[in-house]
Amino acid sequence: MFIRMLRQSFLRGRKRKALAVATIVISASLISALMTISINVGDKMSRELKSYGANINLLPKSESIPLEIGGIDYNPLRGQSFLAETDLPAIKEIFWRNNIAGFAPFLKTPVRLAGQRQPVQLIGTWFDRHQPVANEPDYRTGVRQINPFWEVVGDWPEDRAFGGVLLGSGLAAAAGLEVGDRIRIELGEAERQQSAELQVVGLLKTGGAEDQSIVAPLATVQQLTGLPGKIQAVSVSALTVPENALAKKARRNLDALNTEEYDRWYCTAYVSTIAHQVEEAIPNSAARPIWQVAAGEGAVMRKIQLLLLVVTVAAFIASSLGISSLMSTTIMERSGEIGLMKALGAADRAVYLLFLSEAAVVGIIGGLLGCVAGAGLAQLISLGIFRSTVPFAPVTLPVILFTSVLIALVGSLAPSRHITRLLPAEVLHGRN
Amino acid sequence: MAAISLQQRQNLRMFLRILLQSLRIRKSRVLIAFCSILIGAAVVFALLSLYFDISIKMSRELRAYGANFFVGAAETGQPTLEADVYRRVLEQIPATRLVGASPYLYGVARLDLGNAVLAGVDFTGLRRLSPFWQVEGKWVAVDFDEEHCMIGRALARNMALKVGDQLRVFKRETGFNQSLTVRGIVETGQAEDDQIFVNLSLAQKILGQPGRINHAMLSILSRDFDTDALAARLKEQLPGVTAAPLRKVSYSEGKILEKIKGLMALVAVIILAATTFCVMTTLVAMVVERTREIALLKSLGAENRSIVRQFLIETGCISLAGIAGGMLVGFLLAQLLGQAVFGAAISFRIAVVPLTLTVSLVAALLAAIMPVRMALRIAPATVLKGE
Repeated sequence: MFIRMLRQSFLRGRKRKALAVATIVISASLISALMTISINVGDKMSRELKSYGANINLLPKSESIPLEIGGIDYNPLRGQSFLAETDLPAIKEIFWRNNIAGFAPFLKTPVRLAGQRQPVQLIGTWFDRHQPVANEPDYRTGVRQINPFWEVVGDWPEDRAFGGVLLGSGLAAAAGLEVGDRIRIELGEAERQQSAELQVVGLLKTGGAEDQSIVAPLATVQQLTGLPGKIQAVSVSALTVPENALAKKARRNLDALNTEEYDRWYCTAYVSTIAHQVEEAIPNSAARPIWQVAAGEGAVMRKIQLLLLVVTVAAFIASSLGISSLMSTTIMERSGEIGLMKALGAADRAVYLLFLSEAAVVGIIGGLLGCVAGAGLAQLISLGIFRSTVPFAPVTLPVILFTSVLIALVGSLAPSRHITRLLPAEVLHGRN
Repeated sequence: MAAISLQQRQNLRMFLRILLQSLRIRKSRVLIAFCSILIGAAVVFALLSLYFDISIKMSRELRAYGANFFVGAAETGQPTLEADVYRRVLEQIPATRLVGASPYLYGVARLDLGNAVLAGVDFTGLRRLSPFWQVEGKWVAVDFDEEHCMIGRALARNMALKVGDQLRVFKRETGFNQSLTVRGIVETGQAEDDQIFVNLSLAQKILGQPGRINHAMLSILSRDFDTDALAARLKEQLPGVTAAPLRKVSYSEGKILEKIKGLMALVAVIILAATTFCVMTTLVAMVVERTREIALLKSLGAENRSIVRQFLIETGCISLAGIAGGMLVGFLLAQLLGQAVFGAAISFRIAVVPLTLTVSLVAALLAAIMPVRMALRIAPATVLKGE
C-alpha cells in the first residue's frame, strides 16, 4: 500500500516532482562543481604561481662563502666547485618527478665589454633545450619555461648555436647597443686574457641583476671559460603544496622524524621534500628552497583555497535554504490530499513517512543527476579559467548524494507542524 | 470623465484589496517566497562585495612575494646613492600603497673566520618587505640597535655560529673592530644566506660610507597604480637615480589576480543562476496552489492583463522586501567571508546596492515568467468543476 501510494504520487504529480528534482539537480551540480574546483584549485593555482620562477636552487656542496654583490663576485679567487651537466636528467627521475615543472642550469663568469672598465656578468644557461628524460623523450626545459617573466625584445638565442646572446636592457642602454650589434668581450686574468665576439640577438628585461648582464647559451660560456660539461647552479621549478607543521619539523631536523612521519614527509610534495630528493639525485650538491617563491606561494595558496571553501559553504547554505523552501511549498499545496488521508484514518506518522520517502527519492535522483551535471560544469569553469580539465574527485559523489537527501528531508520536515495541525474537515471543505 | 475616474478608483481599490488579502491570507507561502528571495539577494550582495574587494585584498596577500620595486643609482658598482634620495622616493608613494621598504648598503667585512658580505638595512621596513624570510631566533627590533646582527644560514653553518653567539667584525679601512651578538639566523635560499645584516647606521660606520646606500627595495600595492609611471617620474625628478618594477614579481601578480577575479566572477554567476531557479520553483508552486483563485477571477471577468499585473506586482512587493532584507544580511555575510578568509572587513560600496537590486529584481521577474504563463493558461470551467 505504502509503495503504491509512493509510486502514485510520483506518477500523478509528475510535473511537480520534476520541478523539485530539477531544483535539486541545479543546486547539487553547483555544489559539486564548486567542490571539485576547491579540491583541485591547489594544483591549478600552483601551476599559475609558477610564473614567479624557480623555487629550488641547487648548488655544489662547498665550504667557501661567496662574496657576491649585485651579481658581481668580489672573491674571484675562491676555489670553485662545479656540478656536472650530464647529471641533470636525474632531476626528472626522482619520486616527485611529475611535479618538476622545469629546470635550468647556470654558469656565470665576470667579463668586460671591450672598452669598459666595469666588469659585467656573462651568464650561460639553457633557453629552451630539448633534453630527453625517462618516459618523456620530447621533454624541453630552460629559462623560458621556469622564468616566464623574462621579457625579450628581438629573438631568443639558439641553445645549440655559438655566440648568439641576450643583452641586459640596462647594459644595452648604457653602452648604446641594439639588437643585431656585435659585441667584443674580454675575460680571464691579465696574463691569460682572451677575447671573443658575440652577436646580440635580443634585449632582456627582468628588473633584476640580469638587466646588467649578458645571457648566452650554456655551451658558449662553457667553451669560453674552458669548463666543458660544468655548471655552477641549477634553478628548479617544482609544483609544491604549502608547508605545514610536519614540513617545518623536518626542516629543523630530519633525524628527529620517526619512520612513519618520515614516510609521510617523503611522500608529500613539500618544497623541502623535493629539494631533498633533488639533492639525493645529483651527486655532491646542496639544494635550497628559495623561500621568496616557496613561502609566498604557500601563503597565497592557503588564501585561495580558503576563499573557495568559504564560498562553497555559502553557496551550499543558500541552495539548501532554497530547496527547503521549495519542499515546504510542495507539501503545503497538497493539504487536500493530507486531509483525505487523515479522514481515512492515517496516523500523523504515516503521513510523515510518505512525504519523507518522497523527499528522499527526489533527493537521490536530484543528487545523482547533479553530480553528473556538476562534473561537466567543473570542466567548463576549469577550461575557462585555467585552460585545462580537472579530474573528478570520487569523494564528491557520496557527499553530494548525502547532502541532497538531507536537504530534501530537512525541507520536508519544516512544514511538519503545519501537517499535524491540518483539520481534515476544514481542508476537505476547501478552506486551507 | 468623472464616471471613468470613479470606475478607475474603484478598480484600484479592488486591486489593492486583492493584493493585500492575498499577501495576508497566504502568510506562510509569502514568507517562504520572501525568504528565498532574501537568501538569493544576500548571496548576490555578499559575492558582489567580495568580488569588488578581491583584487585589493589578494594584491595585499601577493605582497608575500616581497619587493616589487627597485630604486638604485644609474651608475652601478659603488654605493653612490644619498640616503636622502631614499627619503624623497618614499615621499612620492602614498602611505596606504607602501607595504614595506628598506634601503641596502653592501660591503665586504672581515669576520672571525673569513670575509663576508655585510648588508646595512632598515629592519622594521625589511620585515614588512620580506615576510618570506625564515628566521630562527628573533629579528633586530629597533632602528638604532648597534649591538645586534642577523646572519645568513650558510654563513652561520660555515662559521659555526648559533643564535646568541658573539661575532667580531673588522674593517681595516675604517679601523672598525667590535663584537656583535647574533640575534637571528636567516634562511631565504638566495644570496642572503651568505650575508650578515646590521642596521643601516651601523653599516655606514663599519664601511665608512656615511649617509650613503647602494639601492632600495620597495613593496608597493600595485593594483590600479602605474608602477611604470612612478619609475619614469622618479627618474625624471631625481637625477642619477634609476627605478624599475621588478618583473619577476609584478608580471606574475597581474596574471594571478586576473585568474582569481575570473574564478570569483564565474562562481558568482553560477550561484546567481541557481538561486534564480530556486525562486522560480517557489513561485511556480505558489501559482499551482492558486489555480482555483485565478480561475474564479477569470470567470468573474478579469482580463489576462490584470491577472498578469496582479502577479507581477505581488512578486515585486515580495521581491523588494526580500531584496532589502537580503542586502542587510548580505553585508553581514560579506563581513563574515572577509573575516574568515582575509581577516579584514570588506568595504561597503554604494555601487553594489543598485547592482544587487537590478540583478535580483530581474532574476525574480524572470523567475515569475513561467508561473505567470501557467496562470494565463488556466481554463476556468475545468478548474472550477474540480478536475
